Amino acid sequence: MSERYPFKVLRKPKFQSSSLVVGWNEDAGQLGPGVIDYLTRALGGERFGEIEPEDFFSLGGIRVEHDVAQFPESNFYSCNENNLVIFRSTPPRFEWYKFLNSILDVAERYCGTKDLYAIGGMVALAAHTTPRALLATSSSQEVKESLKQYNLVRDMDYQTATGQRPTLNSFLLWLAGRRDIPGVNLWVPIPSYLVASEDPRAQKKVLQFFDERLGLNIDFGDIDHEIQKQNEKLAQARLRLPEVDDYILRLESNLSLSQEENERLAKEVEEFLREEE
Amino acid sequence: MGVKLYKRPRLKNPVMIASWPGIANIGLIAVDTLREALKAEEFGEIEPWDFFYPQRVLIKGGVLEALEFPSSKFYFRKTGKQDLIFFIGEEQPAGGRSVYAEGEKAYQIANLVLDVAEKFHCRRVYTSGAAVAPIHHTMVPRVWAVPNNPDLIAEIKKYENTILMSEIEEREGQGNIVGLNGLLLGVARKRGIEAICVMGEIPVYLQGLPLPYPKASRSVLEVLTSSLGIEVDMSKLDRWTEQLEQEIEDVYNQIPSEIKKQLEKLKQVTYAGPAEPSPITEEDKRRIMEDIDKFFKKRGRGIE
Repeated sequence: MSERYPFKVLRKPKFQSSSLVVGWNEDAGQLGPGVIDYLTRALGGERFGEIEPEDFFSLGGIRVEHDVAQFPESNFYSCNENNLVIFRSTPPRFEWYKFLNSILDVAERYCGTKDLYAIGGMVALAAHTTPRALLATSSSQEVKESLKQYNLVRDMDYQTATGQRPTLNSFLLWLAGRRDIPGVNLWVPIPSYLVASEDPRAQKKVLQFFDERLGLNIDFGDIDHEIQKQNEKLAQARLRLPEVDDYILRLESNLSLSQEENERLAKEVEEFLREEE
Repeated sequence: MGVKLYKRPRLKNPVMIASWPGIANIGLIAVDTLREALKAEEFGEIEPWDFFYPQRVLIKGGVLEALEFPSSKFYFRKTGKQDLIFFIGEEQPAGGRSVYAEGEKAYQIANLVLDVAEKFHCRRVYTSGAAVAPIHHTMVPRVWAVPNNPDLIAEIKKYENTILMSEIEEREGQGNIVGLNGLLLGVARKRGIEAICVMGEIPVYLQGLPLPYPKASRSVLEVLTSSLGIEVDMSKLDRWTEQLEQEIEDVYNQIPSEIKKQLEKLKQVTYAGPAEPSPITEEDKRRIMEDIDKFFKKRGRGIE
């Protein structure tokens, strides 16, 4: 059976070796897309390849979001001066194994990738005013050791709950391990009421790690501005909507909210932030 | 992507028995009971990652320890006369598009299973599954048998409690077997390997419930063991059947009396030919089906 490559390389990047950063659209708090876009902008990333969509997405039509037609995108960017490869994609619907192997094929064959970092947001029942934690899952004990000088939570225990399935990032990390590519999955707990909007504080947490780990010398001016803007908006929301303030106060005091209260808080905050845009 | 065999047993005149999950796991339970009773030994597997999504990740102390996939394993058992190879698939490679396998992946996995059958010169392949039938749950389920070669019909006619498609009223020998338990028969035919699918009956009103139906698995197992000339202890299946009877009765008792009245008529269903009219008419059956469908949809458990 002849196997065609499902990717297209538009121009060969000039890397001796590189690090690969992977992020997915549709991430909690826009963590993956936010970090990827910031890195690409800050480091002058240039698109050099893509994964073709037909094997991995349902192409029976298109989805419209915010009045605009959407289409699955799976793009590679190179930041030559920083030896960094960035991959941003819509999560594939089908053929995960083939899709994830295609990412690693491009990274190994054209970019000499020596390590991998995948980003993912997770839902947390916490207030936006609490500091964001950065959790790391490593592909091996050696990789875990190499992360000890960073401010990371490195000792997580986790097992897939009944009825759930492992994430794309876990599958990617496992595949990277099979190819002897050291890998790290980076997770940031996102306050539940920011999951559907943006969480620039969480994005900055990941960016700071990359800055230190990969020596990128990132200018954080823009993201600091985003954080300040969002803090002001959320402060406004608390002033104008006493119910929102009450819920957030309870979260700040480590008190829990019922599912209904959580949903109401998320809805109110999302609507408020959307109106303020 | 492929088959990994840990050992190459020398097998005499082997027969392969394969099964994947399906309605109430009737076929899978029958085959797995036989495998367990005969203490068959695992000797190979189909590498899963190209066919399945992972089902569990294990992270310990911040390190990814394992990623687990649904298994697709081969087992063997020497019996002296004709040896046996079992294939048990934990999931059908549906690719996220449907519950049952179809298309390229299904064809690939069917071929991989038959590659092993051919490697060991299997003279026959059995698959097994479920047959959704207008019967009552107090009846002993029959076994519907479908061969992939007309020469096997004479042999099937000798099986106890077994019927061919042509013996089912109004079917005239026609029907569909969804998923890999059916597809394997077709691919075997293409490769010139004889194969038979044996399917245990499940009452039409139970097919959508998240319960196994070991009573039908027992019927399938009886057919398999008798055609293979072996005996196994079925008491475990009998105990399981007894336990489930009560659960099924509980569900049955929740059905409104007017629908139950219709269902009671199913106790009289036989597979008489057109010359001997069935005690309930096709119109009755259609009405029963509509009523049941409405009832289970209302309860949020639609029939598949």
